[in-house]
Amino acid sequence: MISVHGLRKHYKVHKRPPGLKAALRSLFHRTYTSVKAVDGISFDIRPGERVGFLGPNGAGKTTTLKVLSGLLHPSEGEVRVDGHVPRLREEAFLKKIMLVMGQKQQLLWDLPPAETFELNRAIYDVPTLQYKQTLDELVGLLEIGDLIGKPTRQLSLGERMKCELAAALIHRPRVLFLDEPTIGLDVSMQATMRTFIKDYNEKYGATLILTSHYMDDVAALCPRVIVIDKGLLSYDGSLEALVQRVRPEKRVVLRLSEQVDASRLEPLGKLVTHEAGTAVLQVKQDAVNATISRALSGLPVTDLTVENAPLEEVMSELFAENKARRLQAAESVTA
Amino acid sequence: MVRRYLRLLTVQLKASGLQALQYRADFFTDGFTSLCWVFTALAPLFVVYGSRPEVEGWSFGEALLVVGWFTLLQGILEGAINPSLTGVVEHIRKGTLDFVLLKPADAQFLVSTQRFLPWRAFNVLTGLGLFLYAFMLLGRGPSPLGLLTSVLLLGTSTLLLYSLWILTVSAAFFVVRVDNLTYLFTSIFDFARWPSSVFKGVAKGALTLVFTYVIPLALMTTFPAEAMLGRLPAQSLVGAVVGSAVFAWVARRVWIRSIGHYTSASS
Repeated sequence: MISVHGLRKHYKVHKRPPGLKAALRSLFHRTYTSVKAVDGISFDIRPGERVGFLGPNGAGKTTTLKVLSGLLHPSEGEVRVDGHVPRLREEAFLKKIMLVMGQKQQLLWDLPPAETFELNRAIYDVPTLQYKQTLDELVGLLEIGDLIGKPTRQLSLGERMKCELAAALIHRPRVLFLDEPTIGLDVSMQATMRTFIKDYNEKYGATLILTSHYMDDVAALCPRVIVIDKGLLSYDGSLEALVQRVRPEKRVVLRLSEQVDASRLEPLGKLVTHEAGTAVLQVKQDAVNATISRALSGLPVTDLTVENAPLEEVMSELFAENKARRLQAAESVTA
Repeated sequence: MVRRYLRLLTVQLKASGLQALQYRADFFTDGFTSLCWVFTALAPLFVVYGSRPEVEGWSFGEALLVVGWFTLLQGILEGAINPSLTGVVEHIRKGTLDFVLLKPADAQFLVSTQRFLPWRAFNVLTGLGLFLYAFMLLGRGPSPLGLLTSVLLLGTSTLLLYSLWILTVSAAFFVVRVDNLTYLFTSIFDFARWPSSVFKGVAKGALTLVFTYVIPLALMTTFPAEAMLGRLPAQSLVGAVVGSAVFAWVARRVWIRSIGHYTSASS
């Protein structure tokens, strides 16, 4: 469905040092530097797949999504989405895709969302019957029946985002690019959005690429993740395997009926946190069973769970690893 | 294709109408402002013609026709062209032009029809009123051919005005803030309230040349007024038709090239 080979997107950016003198000089003599937003990434995505794009700020995630949706032209490389070359912006292509951006909105600010839906119906040439069916379904699933008649400016952020998603799906896109769709939403609204996105993917077999800073979004929605860092692809595979690779250790969470001294916990594994009757130990995978039996026999344990390290930690460790590798490479070049 | 775009235009017009109705107070302030602008447009004419019967071959009644065209076109500019196209500048700055470019319809059409201010139709009506008054002063009416030609020139003038705006707005893809350019454009358009021949004496006629060929203000207001009076040379009519077509073509090319320079805004 989506194939990306050797994609590069470089920007020419005007750079000048601070100060009035430099500002005046830059009026006549400008120096430009090339920013490598995306620097040679390749991947393929099958129809109906849900893929998470992960990476720190400025990694090149949004740039990649914008290239895939035809908004930005690649500097180099080949990109195809369902057989189309996105930068040509063919009508047939644009009718198949949609880009939802959590930080930007397409809803008409002064009018109720229903007017934007109507406008999109006309633009996407959606047959009346299909429009009615889709709208009824979206209104039901997102529970926005009493919202679509209110002016957009009177809606809360969460309500607006639900309507924004409905506006984006009126034409039933087969490829959905979601750029931070849950940003700024409260926990329950995030969960509603996730469930809805997953249902849409399953019902219509839509291919989905998601970027999000909320790891819960990625964990709930994306069996496969692609990690981009400084414009380079640093991982492509299952989320489970990524966690195993970066943090093979497990977390044993112990709930204790009474206060236990840290010196009794430390022999069991690396003590991550220890407060208010809960202790979290980090242990090697093959030592999990032994740790559990030692804890149960020697400590006042009331409850016990075994978990993976939080995804946030896994990701920051991966980014730190990448950074260290880049620095090492740079040093070996200068040496 | 044509039917689809007509349907789209209807939907966009409906949305604009609804937006205008959202703010009732705007209706009254817009109407009042339009009225004030008409008097401002007329004031210099009264001053100039208070002391002389005609200027560069234009009597007061004839010059009033030019002001009528100026007022009418100002209504079209501020009601149908300006709101949409200044919206583009905002879209580019905020990066929301993304949504326009993602739509499976012509981006120039979508941005050009996104916002109308129906209250500005008041200016159009005032322009028509000025025509009536001018012909009453002149003691005659326009010839049927003159009227027909002026209707044709209304089309070419609107096309010219629109194309000049597209060219101005296209600059926003490169310099982002074009507020000054749009102010400059509106100030220059102000010259169109005078018959183009009054500028003959300025800089050895250079200004008349500029206003005919570079920023063709003469084609917008003086030509249609002359057509109404039945004294527009045939070659001027051809010039207006060809000129506006060329401007529209150039504006389209520049717009398409400018879109290629769109870098979007960071999220």
